[in-house]
Amino acid sequence: MAQRLKEVDVVVIGVGMVGSILAKELAAAGYKVVGLERGTTRFTVPEFQSPGIHDELRFDVRKALMQDNTREPVTFRNHSSEIGLPIRRWESFLPGTGLGGSMVHWNGQTFRFQANDFELATRTRERYGKGFLDPDLTLQDWGVTYDELEPHYDRFEYLLGTSGKAGNLKGQIQPGGDPHESPRSRDYPTPPQKEHYSGALFRKAASSLGHHPFPQPSSNLSQPYTNPEGLKMNTCVFCGFCERYACEHYAKSTPQTFILPVLLANPNFELRTGCQVQRINLDSSKKRATGVTYIDNAGREFEQPASLVITCLFAINNIRMLLLSGIGKPYDPATGKGVVGRNYAYQTMSTVASFFDEDVIINPFMASGASGTMINDFAGDNFDHSGLGFIGGAFIGAVNTNGRPIQYHPTPPGTPAWGKGWKDAVIKHYNHTVMFSLHGSSVSQKQNYADLDPTYKDAWGQPLLRITFDFPKNDLKMAEYVTARGVEIGKAMGAKQVVGSPRKGPYTTQQYQTTHNTGGTVMGNDPSTSVVNRYLQSWDVPNVFVIGASAYPQNASWNPTGTLGALTYWVADALKSKYLRNPGHLVSP
Amino acid sequence: MKYVLATLIVLGASGAAGAATPPPEAATCQACHGVHGEGMVDGAKPRLAGQSAHYLDKQLRDFASGARDNAIMSAIAKGLNDQTRSRLAAYYASLPIPAPLEHTSATAAQAERGHQLAIEGAEGKRVQACNNCHGPDGSGVALSAPALAGQLATYLAAQLKLWQQGGRKNDAGNLMSSVASKLDEADIAAVTSYYASLSASTPASH
Repeated sequence: MAQRLKEVDVVVIGVGMVGSILAKELAAAGYKVVGLERGTTRFTVPEFQSPGIHDELRFDVRKALMQDNTREPVTFRNHSSEIGLPIRRWESFLPGTGLGGSMVHWNGQTFRFQANDFELATRTRERYGKGFLDPDLTLQDWGVTYDELEPHYDRFEYLLGTSGKAGNLKGQIQPGGDPHESPRSRDYPTPPQKEHYSGALFRKAASSLGHHPFPQPSSNLSQPYTNPEGLKMNTCVFCGFCERYACEHYAKSTPQTFILPVLLANPNFELRTGCQVQRINLDSSKKRATGVTYIDNAGREFEQPASLVITCLFAINNIRMLLLSGIGKPYDPATGKGVVGRNYAYQTMSTVASFFDEDVIINPFMASGASGTMINDFAGDNFDHSGLGFIGGAFIGAVNTNGRPIQYHPTPPGTPAWGKGWKDAVIKHYNHTVMFSLHGSSVSQKQNYADLDPTYKDAWGQPLLRITFDFPKNDLKMAEYVTARGVEIGKAMGAKQVVGSPRKGPYTTQQYQTTHNTGGTVMGNDPSTSVVNRYLQSWDVPNVFVIGASAYPQNASWNPTGTLGALTYWVADALKSKYLRNPGHLVSP
Repeated sequence: MKYVLATLIVLGASGAAGAATPPPEAATCQACHGVHGEGMVDGAKPRLAGQSAHYLDKQLRDFASGARDNAIMSAIAKGLNDQTRSRLAAYYASLPIPAPLEHTSATAAQAERGHQLAIEGAEGKRVQACNNCHGPDGSGVALSAPALAGQLATYLAAQLKLWQQGGRKNDAGNLMSSVASKLDEADIAAVTSYYASLSASTPASH
């Protein structure tokens, strides 16, 4: 029998980036907030310190910071005709666990989406006509606009201290920044990180082709910074251990550096770790949540009543939480009806490798996770898609995140996969190769979705989430097109050999691509095609809010974190100024 | 044993450069930094022996350009050309590390605090471990951060205060001023006496 605990105002499920920001806002506004985190506490000191944190075998290969998939895996299949099987080793994407969530091991690449992205369905129709898109695609507008989110993007960037260069200040194009970005109200809080040599080569080549290179916005900071919460952060030292690792320098913006000390000091907030939430409980009407049920590390079951439940999990776990709780109608690909699990999307990653002679020294190990130089000329709708047969695009960047010995060993095609020939090639090319990342958008389509697995269960006996996904033809065409543009830049750099690798299907979970899973609990203005309204409030159970990249109706050409930060503050505002004063539907269904 | 091995490699590599013979310009240095580059407690003159050549060369350049401010050192550094400067740096880098000059009398609590700041940092102050950048046991990382092990506590403390007060700024990204600004007097006393107590030629005990 579950032990029933004293009721609180708010339960936050998952104390990662979203959970810690929201909990801080609500606790500061006077509400009693309990944060339930399945993982452990962890802080920059002592958990993230060197030399232990640079253990490549432990963190890169064995994925020490990730969700424990011996207890809680995800099943996967490419098509609904197949049987989903559990992913026993994380490779394609890496959901984190523990205090601070997946942000602890992110790279710090901090983008805004463009105005166009939030109204993609409408604007695509307007620009290219009704019949332009593959009829299987399920593109949607978000129900919120860039202009509405702009102040929240700004607040998030100033919370993090993001290092970058504005390209469009209130409509005025700024030299050196990204001319394609939507207008921002002010510049980044800190100047860009230093450019590494591969970035300098890229800048010169991209400029010579008429493109518009700019420094990648980075939340690995270029200088010491004190954020509006009064927390001090340090300068990044380019150690090259960002993604898959935690930062030992207080230099990468994570909840540990930008918010947790303030949140944990607030007596209105209580953090409970080791709490595996089983479900959100509903009353008999199924239209009101009464709280959550969780199991602690000792196996004891608790019921935590609350007036408001906010699920702030990693995208795929948000979907699962709703399905396990019976909130919202599950999506059925056969009929196209239902919403939970619908519009699951990802990111379409391609690469270009430029191999130089040995007199060009790259020093790839001097890196931060986001110290790249890039262009947006082929991202989003920044170029004319007429006649191309696809929508979307990719940023192209010399994004040199690391030169770690186990993970980083670029070799040209034809190199043996092992043995002396492979080792010789690694030695030859390690320090003389520039890698471009081509970070492509991902459209949603009818066949891609998530549901509960009919067979496999987690360690607590609950069904696993099952993902059914393959790359839409639209995105493979896009990858082909943009990779050709990347190859042109590689050649303009003067590389001896340039190898473009456009993303090809079928999608596999066995190769790292990116941890940018999106969709499944999408936001919108129509309850028949969205799970939550424009304030990320459940259409069905209005005292449940679902916040994560799971809200994105499709994924754009950039890393999703900046937009998720903006959405978090957007929701925090709506909660404080509207919902908590007068609980109920913020948009009538 | 790892540290001893590293030291031997340094000595071995520099031996070929002719470690035993000081360049004539070293006479000027010896007046303050000691005949063997061991430093001088009086006036907080740092030990140069065994410090990385890259670091020493950069400091001389910074003194000459004004990026690092010290009236005596600036005057001296301005008189050196590139070749002499790098010869001096290589010479001092090649010298064996002498026994510590100071006998610090750190209390047990101070030693513990110093050790903690060096290897772990302090979450409450948002200070990371010194060794993250300065290497295991503060042995230095040749191209980026100087060795701290066996350095004079008086010198280290004086420098931390300069970083704190803005009197020294010649690092990358203002990292040291940011870190130093979070340390108080007791932290500085503890961490500098800890590093001074590490014999640079034997592994530190843990």
